Amino acid sequence: MFKDILFGTSASPAGDYAARVAFELAGRFDAHLRLVHVLGVPSRGFSYLAEDVRTGEQVVIDDDYKAWVEEEIKTYYAKQLEKCNDYSIHVCVGHPHREILREARNSNPDLIVLGGPTEENEGSAYKKIVAGSTIQLVSKSALCPVLLVSRPAASFWGGISSVVFGADFSKASDAAFKFAKKVAASIPGCELHIFHAMDIGPVHTGLSLSQEEIEDKIREARKKIRHKYVANLEGFEKYSMEVWEGLPYVEIVKFAREKQADLIVMAYSTKDVDAENARLGSNMEQVIMRSTCPVISVNRKMAKN
Amino acid sequence: MPEGTLCNKQTVDTKEYLNALLADKSGKQYYSEMEKLDVDTDKLWKSIKSTLRSRLRTWLEICAHCGMCADACFLYLANDRDPTQVPSYKIQSTLGEIVKRKGKVNNEFMRMVMDTAWSKCTCCCRCGSFCPFGIDMGIMFGYLRGLCFSQGFVPWELKIGSGMHRVYKAQMDVTVEDWVDTCEWMAEEYEDDWPGLAIPVDKENADIMYTVNAREPKHYPEDIAEAAILFHMAGENWTVPSKGWEETSLAMFAGDWGACKMQVEEVYGAMHRLKPKRMVVTECGHAYRATVIEGPYWAGLKDGRPPVESIHYVEWVAEALRTGKIKIDPAKKIKEPVTYQDSCNYIRNAGLKNVAREIMSYIAEDFREMTPNREHNFCCGGGGGFNGMGRYREQRNVGLKVKLDQILDTGAKLVISPCHNCWDAIRDMEEVYHAGIRWSFLKPLLIKMAIPPDHLKVEE
Ligand code: SF4
Ligand code: SF4
Ligand code: SF4
Repeated sequence: MFKDILFGTSASPAGDYAARVAFELAGRFDAHLRLVHVLGVPSRGFSYLAEDVRTGEQVVIDDDYKAWVEEEIKTYYAKQLEKCNDYSIHVCVGHPHREILREARNSNPDLIVLGGPTEENEGSAYKKIVAGSTIQLVSKSALCPVLLVSRPAASFWGGISSVVFGADFSKASDAAFKFAKKVAASIPGCELHIFHAMDIGPVHTGLSLSQEEIEDKIREARKKIRHKYVANLEGFEKYSMEVWEGLPYVEIVKFAREKQADLIVMAYSTKDVDAENARLGSNMEQVIMRSTCPVISVNRKMAKN
Repeated sequence: MPEGTLCNKQTVDTKEYLNALLADKSGKQYYSEMEKLDVDTDKLWKSIKSTLRSRLRTWLEICAHCGMCADACFLYLANDRDPTQVPSYKIQSTLGEIVKRKGKVNNEFMRMVMDTAWSKCTCCCRCGSFCPFGIDMGIMFGYLRGLCFSQGFVPWELKIGSGMHRVYKAQMDVTVEDWVDTCEWMAEEYEDDWPGLAIPVDKENADIMYTVNAREPKHYPEDIAEAAILFHMAGENWTVPSKGWEETSLAMFAGDWGACKMQVEEVYGAMHRLKPKRMVVTECGHAYRATVIEGPYWAGLKDGRPPVESIHYVEWVAEALRTGKIKIDPAKKIKEPVTYQDSCNYIRNAGLKNVAREIMSYIAEDFREMTPNREHNFCCGGGGGFNGMGRYREQRNVGLKVKLDQILDTGAKLVISPCHNCWDAIRDMEEVYHAGIRWSFLKPLLIKMAIPPDHLKVEE
C-alpha cells in the first residue's frame, strides 16, 4: 500500500502521536520513511537568521547546525529508528508547509504524515496557528493523501478494522472514496462506513430548516451516496451508510466514535482555505483535533491520478 | 596594511568567498577583523574629490544647524529626541568630518561612521522635505555608505548581500534553474484552481515582463502564483525572464555601486532580449527604486530611464481595477478598518501616492489614513537594510515604535503593505510588541475579493 512515507516531524512531544503512527506504518509496509524536519522559519528580513522551531532561538543555519539538528533528531527517535531499517532524515529551512511540499515534490511519497494542532495548551496560540495552517496548506496542495494525527491513536494500521469515509460529494470526495475503499479492501475483515453530515448551519440565525426539509435533504443525500459510492464498491460487502444532520465536524466525530473507527478519510475542501479563518480552524482541523483516530485528507488533485 | 580574510576592501565575487562569509556565524570573525582594518586615507580622499558632487558639497556647507530636520526623522523621535539622532548632526559628524579632515580618519572613526550610516539612517529621505534648503540625508547617507563599502566598513549581512548579487545575480542563492523550476511548480500547484494558469518564461514581445524579489522563489513562492493568478484573471499577455528576474538590490543598501550596476544590467538585458511593452515590479519598494529610479544612472543610460517603461505593482493593480480587468465583488470588500503603509521608495520618492489611494477606494469600505501620510509618511522602521542586520537589531526595534503608534492611532488592525521591507518590519513589530495587528500584501487580498471571469470558475 505504501512504499515511501514522508513524515513532517517537529522532533518534539507535539509530534509524538504522529511519529508513532508514521513509524508503525513504515514498519508494517516496509516503506522508506523520510523524516523531514523544517528546523527554522526565516526571519529578520533578508538576513541569514532563522528561528529554530524547537528552541525559539535566533540562529544562523549552516551545514554544521543542520548536522547537529540531524543528530538531535536521531537521539529523539533513537528507539524507533533502531527498528526502522529504511529511513532518511532531511533538515531544511523555510516555511514548514512550503518545505514539506518541496520535499514531496522531489521524492514523490505515497503518503504524508503530519502532527495536528492539539487542543491542549502545550504550545502558544501562534504555534497552533502555524500547525493549523501547515496542515491546511499541505493538505490542499499535496499530490498524495495526508495522514493527520493529533491525539494518541487507539489502534494502529493493521489493527484497523473500521474506516469511516466522510462524504461531501465533491470531486475531491470521489478521490477520497477511492482511497478509503482501497484501504478497507487491503485489510481483511475491515469495515467501511460511508457517512455524510448535512450542514444545517447555525441554528440561531432564524434560517434553520423545517424538519420536513431536513428529512428531504437526508433522503436526497442517501440517494447520492448510493449512486456515487455504493454503486462503486465493486463487490466490497462490509459497508454501511448513514446521513446525519448537524454541525459537520461534531457529527463525524460522534459517528466515528460510535463505529469505533480507526481511521477517518475525508476530502480536503477548498472552501476551507482562508488564512483568516485558519485561526478559528477549518472543519477538517476541528475533526483532527477532536477525533481519537487519525484522519486522512485527500484533495482534488488526487482525483486526476 | 592588515586586511582580514573576511573583512577587507575586496568585493565578493566568488562562491568560495561568499560561503566563507556565511560560515562565519553572525559575522563574529568578520567584525573582529574589522577592528584592525586599515583605512586607505589617500584612496578615500581621492574618491571624495572625484565623486562628491557639488550638490552634496554645498549641502554640507550651507546647513544652518537650525534643527528643523530633527522632528522629521523617525529615529530622532523614537529615541526620545536624542540630539545625536538629529539628521544634520548625524551627517556632519560623519561625512562632514571626513571631508573636513581630507580623508585622514582612523579605523575607530570609520567604525563609528559605519554604525551611524547603517543604524541611524534608513535613507527614507523624509528629512529632506522639511529642511528649508532641501538637504536630504537619505541621499547623503547613501553616498557615505558607498565610501564605507569601498573601505571595507560594511555590516556583515550586507557584504554577503552584495556578494549574492555578484555571484547569483540575486539577493539570495537562487539560480536560474531554481527560479524556472519554481515557476513551473507554482503553475502546477495552482492550475486546478485556475484553469489554464501558466507562468510563461522568456516569451518575447509580451505586454508585461514581470520581475520579483528573490525571497519569493526562495521562501514564499505563493507570491509568484498569486501574481500569475491575477495576471491570468486580467487576461494579460505576460512573461517572466529566465535571467534578469531579480529586481531587488541589497547592493544598494550596501553601497556597492559595482554590484548595483551588474544587477540592474541583468534586468535591462532581459528587457532587450524579450522586448516587452512594459515591465511590472513586484510589491517591493526598494526594488522599484533600484531598478526604475536609480538603475538607469548606474547603468549609464543617458535619458535616466529604464529601456522599457517600468511600473510598480500598485500601478498595475490600480490600472486593472480602473479598467475593469479585475472586478471586485462589492460584498467582499474589506469591511474592517484598514490602513496602508506608504513605502518611502515609491510613494515619497516616486510619487505614487494617489495610485495607492485609488486602489483603496476600490477594495476597502473603511480605509483609515495614518497621520502623517503620503509623501510625509514615516519610514516603517526597517528601511535601508535595517531589518536584516543583526548588529543593529536593538536599534531597529526601538525605531519600529513610531510606525507602530501611527498604525495603532488609526484604529485599524489590518495594514496593507505592498513592500517587502515594510511588510517585514510590520511583521516584526507584532512579534516584538504584540499589538494585535495583521499585515498583508495586496495580492492575496485581491484574489479573495475579485470576481473570477466565468471561464475560470471551477466546480467543487
Ligand atoms: S533642517 Fe536643513 S539646514 Fe536645518 S539643520 Fe537640518 S539639514 Fe541643516
Ligand atoms: S533620511 Fe530618514 S532616517 Fe535618514 S536622517 Fe533623514 S529622516 Fe532620518
Ligand atoms: S522599508 Fe518601507 S518605509 Fe522603510 S524606508 Fe523602505 S520603503 Fe520606506
